[in-house]
Amino acid sequence: MKSLTCIWAIAANTVRESIRNKILYALLFFAILMIGAGVVLGSLSYVESQRILQDVGLGAIRLFGVAIAIFVGIHLIHREVDRRTIYTILSKPISRAEFLVGKYVGLTLTIWMQMAIMIAAFAGVSLLTGAPLAWQHGAFFLLAGAELALVVAIATFFSSFTTPLLAAFFTTGTWVIGHLTRDLRDIGARSDSQAMETITTLAHRVFPDLAGLNLASEAAHLLPITREDITLPLVYATGYVTVVLIAAVFLFERRDFR
Amino acid sequence: MADRTEVVRVDRLVKDFRPGFGVRRKRVLHGISFGVRRGEIFGFVGPNGAGKTTTLKVLMGLIRPSAGSATILGHDVRETEFRRHVGFLPENPYFYDHLSGREILSFYARLCGVRGSERARRVNTLLRWVGLSSAADARLRTYSKGMQQRVGIAQALVHDPDVVFLDEPMSGLDPIGRKEIRDLILRLRAEGKTVFMNTHILSDVEMVCDRVAIIVNGRIRYEGAIEEFLQTGDRDTDIVLSGLPVDAATLLEESVAAQLRGLGERIEVRVSEKAVRDVLRIAMEAGAEVVSLTPHRVSLESIFLSAVEGDAG
Repeated sequence: MKSLTCIWAIAANTVRESIRNKILYALLFFAILMIGAGVVLGSLSYVESQRILQDVGLGAIRLFGVAIAIFVGIHLIHREVDRRTIYTILSKPISRAEFLVGKYVGLTLTIWMQMAIMIAAFAGVSLLTGAPLAWQHGAFFLLAGAELALVVAIATFFSSFTTPLLAAFFTTGTWVIGHLTRDLRDIGARSDSQAMETITTLAHRVFPDLAGLNLASEAAHLLPITREDITLPLVYATGYVTVVLIAAVFLFERRDFR
Repeated sequence: MADRTEVVRVDRLVKDFRPGFGVRRKRVLHGISFGVRRGEIFGFVGPNGAGKTTTLKVLMGLIRPSAGSATILGHDVRETEFRRHVGFLPENPYFYDHLSGREILSFYARLCGVRGSERARRVNTLLRWVGLSSAADARLRTYSKGMQQRVGIAQALVHDPDVVFLDEPMSGLDPIGRKEIRDLILRLRAEGKTVFMNTHILSDVEMVCDRVAIIVNGRIRYEGAIEEFLQTGDRDTDIVLSGLPVDAATLLEESVAAQLRGLGERIEVRVSEKAVRDVLRIAMEAGAEVVSLTPHRVSLESIFLSAVEGDAG
């Protein structure tokens, strides 16, 4: 109970701090601009204007969501150490694990709030242009939210022991690789080289399988989605986030704040 | 008053830092040991780079010791729960500047488990103690350095801790602010709290501390009561005499190795504390009159400097 109080206090403060970040609003502005630009791009096509509009909108939500997650996440711990605010917090009866988890929860909530604004813009544009809004879109947003939570966890992990620049580099790299590991694994399986197959299988297991969290095609084309298409990736993302945060806490516990 | 129970114990504490990615280590603390007793104001004094802040950070769990041990209230400093009984003011503190003074104190009180109405009451009390009631709802970004320092002291006390660690508590304060903080520290002692004060302002140490430890180059050079500390060494005394005959003056120079200096009709005699009685006897027997007698108090600064210079030598 006490742990939850501490985690929530840190999380609430992180939300209050993060929503004051002006660059975050700049990214949000461009995301909404791009969702709106889908109308123009869609009008270039005679047959699938609404699908293109929604394709662009869904893509903007994911890309800008990830950009915001990385940009805010990489500063998560560094700013606290750099400004020495961490000294007074960790001298209180709060463990480093509670502090780190509180920062993670606060940042994830901030990202989800930003995502909610982008979803509202997407829904608004869709309604104005008469594009359909189906439950597949809801499934897409759910898994996109899980992907952002996973990216924030990875940014938190790198932020717990390295500089913001390196954390940005590693997090972006992990995100890109995470979208490719499924294809790489399939290529490795078809390869004649045993070493290649082992490496690609290992990469698929170590890096997050982000392709499994992407329902963009299903949402844009209103294709059928099974319950397992949603629950299994959600369970996977939850497990991956837990493991990454445990690793982040392990490293953070051993760090000296000089 | 302080009893003999130790609330802080540091035993053979070693801290090595590894500069960069190499395997070479730089030793910052060389097996230091000291204790802080319940209810006392303990001054931890040393020049820049001596290891004061490193020691404090080890005690606050911000840095892990390489060897040795440190306990507060009987708990290993790596534990967290006991910290509800500990307050800490870091050097040049910085706080979330999007919050007001009241909000930041409430935030820290919540982290310490201070609940509901008690939290609001403690926050108001602390704001009054540090003289920030009128600025309580202003954002911290509008606070001066002195006001930030006061917020720092308030957050260290917001959960009513038993032991308070202050790193340069007078830093950034004007003379009035310094006096207020000194009074606050004395008030904490009167309430039975233990105060560990890390400072380089020796006059403050002399004024408020019961005991001190001097750290130089990561080694403790002295630990003890401040009065004992100031009485170490052979102190000189100045005696001003009038009507001292020439032969008596000569006798003083030869028999007690006194240094004489003419002050018009009077003579100032500087002798060691041990020779004062002999000087007075010779002067009185010669019919001289004693105008004044001033024992020279050894200043903390002079002893501190000799400790630092001795280490350098």
